[in-house]
Amino acid sequence: MPNKKILICDDDEGILDMLELILEDTGYTIIPEKNSLNIKHLIEDQLPDLILLDLWMPVLSGDQVLRTLRKNPETMHLPVIVISASREGKQIAAEAGASAFISKPFDFDELIGTIKHYLN
Amino acid sequence: MDKIQYGKFNFSKENWEKDFGLLSKALDASISGIIITDNTQPDNPIIYCNQAFEKISGYQRHEIIGHNCRFLQKDDRGQQARSILKNAVEKGIECTVDIRNYRKNGDLFWNELYMSPIKDEAGNVTHFIGVQNDVSARKKAEQDLRQQQDQMERVIQERTLELRDNEAFLSSIIQTVRESLLVLDPKFFVVSANTHFLKTFKVNAEETVGKHLYDLGNHQWDIPQLKELLISILPTNNPVEDFEVEHDFPHIGRKLMLLNAYRVELEGQYKDQILLAIEDITDRREIERRKDDFLSIASHELKTPLTTIKGYIQALERMAPKESSDKFKTILGKTAVYVERLNTLIAELLDVSRIQTGNIELHKAPFDFDKMVVDSVEAIQSAAQQHTIIVKGESGVRLWGDESHIIQVVNNLVSNAIKYAPDSNEVLVYISRISDYVKLSVTDYGMGISQEDQKKVFERFFRAGDIQQRFPGMGIGLYICDQIIKNHEGTLWVESEKGKGSTFSFTLPIKEGDLDAE
Repeated sequence: MPNKKILICDDDEGILDMLELILEDTGYTIIPEKNSLNIKHLIEDQLPDLILLDLWMPVLSGDQVLRTLRKNPETMHLPVIVISASREGKQIAAEAGASAFISKPFDFDELIGTIKHYLN
Repeated sequence: MDKIQYGKFNFSKENWEKDFGLLSKALDASISGIIITDNTQPDNPIIYCNQAFEKISGYQRHEIIGHNCRFLQKDDRGQQARSILKNAVEKGIECTVDIRNYRKNGDLFWNELYMSPIKDEAGNVTHFIGVQNDVSARKKAEQDLRQQQDQMERVIQERTLELRDNEAFLSSIIQTVRESLLVLDPKFFVVSANTHFLKTFKVNAEETVGKHLYDLGNHQWDIPQLKELLISILPTNNPVEDFEVEHDFPHIGRKLMLLNAYRVELEGQYKDQILLAIEDITDRREIERRKDDFLSIASHELKTPLTTIKGYIQALERMAPKESSDKFKTILGKTAVYVERLNTLIAELLDVSRIQTGNIELHKAPFDFDKMVVDSVEAIQSAAQQHTIIVKGESGVRLWGDESHIIQVVNNLVSNAIKYAPDSNEVLVYISRISDYVKLSVTDYGMGISQEDQKKVFERFFRAGDIQQRFPGMGIGLYICDQIIKNHEGTLWVESEKGKGSTFSFTLPIKEGDLDAE
């Protein structure tokens, strides 16, 4: 399996740690990031193949990040899976142009299934 | 006898004795008592009385003649009538008085006494004629009438006072309630406004009462929604309750108001007047909104660590070596179940709060109803190894609705079917399309619900008494389901027999524009 990179952005460190831990056996390279302001730079620098994105984050929210990405031809088609505990998350994510939405707390199989779907 | 000859009788000297007898018989035939007193003698004694006088007074002639008239008054000497009599006697003039007299046996009687003087040629009063009538009956009737009048007057006064009291009491209630009240005449002119109205809308009574509603406060009440209520709705729907009006007032700002309007239908002076109660719910809505926001944030914050926990548990389940003990696997499995329950509780808490405040937001979009059901069932099936969930039938409908909410209902019904039928192993989910509705039924073969409880299962916080011990919960799952189905203009119901199982069904209307699934 080619070594694909997943950028995970969530302001909660517990979730970042957990995702990193449960995804490391899958063979993907995980780039965890707590601060949504760094996403732009990380994308340019690391060229991730997929982004797992939280919605409610301080300063720059997930949907704001998503809208910026969708406006840029370089990242327009980059798979972005939004993960949120917010009830309105699905709607917000869809409107901002998310590839998929997974609600927190998520099911491991569903997460892996969705990731695989977008990486293959 | 000269004097008698002046009368109408034409007495002759030959017959005078006979004629006089006739005259005195005539006097005796009178029902009025008649006496003659001699004013030339001291103390003006009675010298003649007829039979009627004897009858009225109860005295006999020999007890009367020679007495002054006052003997009839006994000890009752303070009467005003007496001074009138005395004055008439002194001046030698006639008079009529009503005087209290007493019969021989002591009984009171009212004597209407007419007294007239007889004068000689020199003008001296020689005699008085007294004509008496017992007017006790008339006096009594008069007195009764006066008493009745007095009493009536008293009652009227009391009633008037009572009414005034009542009015003051009612008015004090109207002035005290913390709700604005307006009374309008049929042409929408303000008849009255209570204190709370004046305070809330910062106006005074002078610039309000008598003015047209729409003209109040520089036309600030000229509100299209209010006009609609008064002109279009109220005439055919009386009363109108909880009519929501939002308006930006020039001085006091935006107000959210709940209006109750009632048109008086009772015949009479108040007919067609309109009572308008205005509840200012601006603050209440704001508080509700803040509560919802708070719960929304709280639930989000609670779910974040829960997500982490769930992730780790799933990782543990995957990492658990094949040879690990059953006990280890059971503990992991149970931990996962309780994390899921905690997750559900947090979600329900938020839902109930929003449903109560009516702030549940529906994000409607077309979705494949059958696929939604199958997917939901699959997810539950993977976690419920003990039960087999069978899905039968299809609707073939793409439904317009909030899919996540409908999923919640399906999840709740299927989870309940498993939860409350622990000893059976089958749950049947049946999808169908009936007329312009899709229908979903979830049947279990579990404990069932008694007739009495069936009516209550959709109520908030209802828990059937016998299940609380075995199946703890908050009793809001079905309440939320019912509200969600209602929000989609559908119906949710239950059919059940105690000990045999239950079927929960819902129907949702297929709207024009809902496409058939491809």
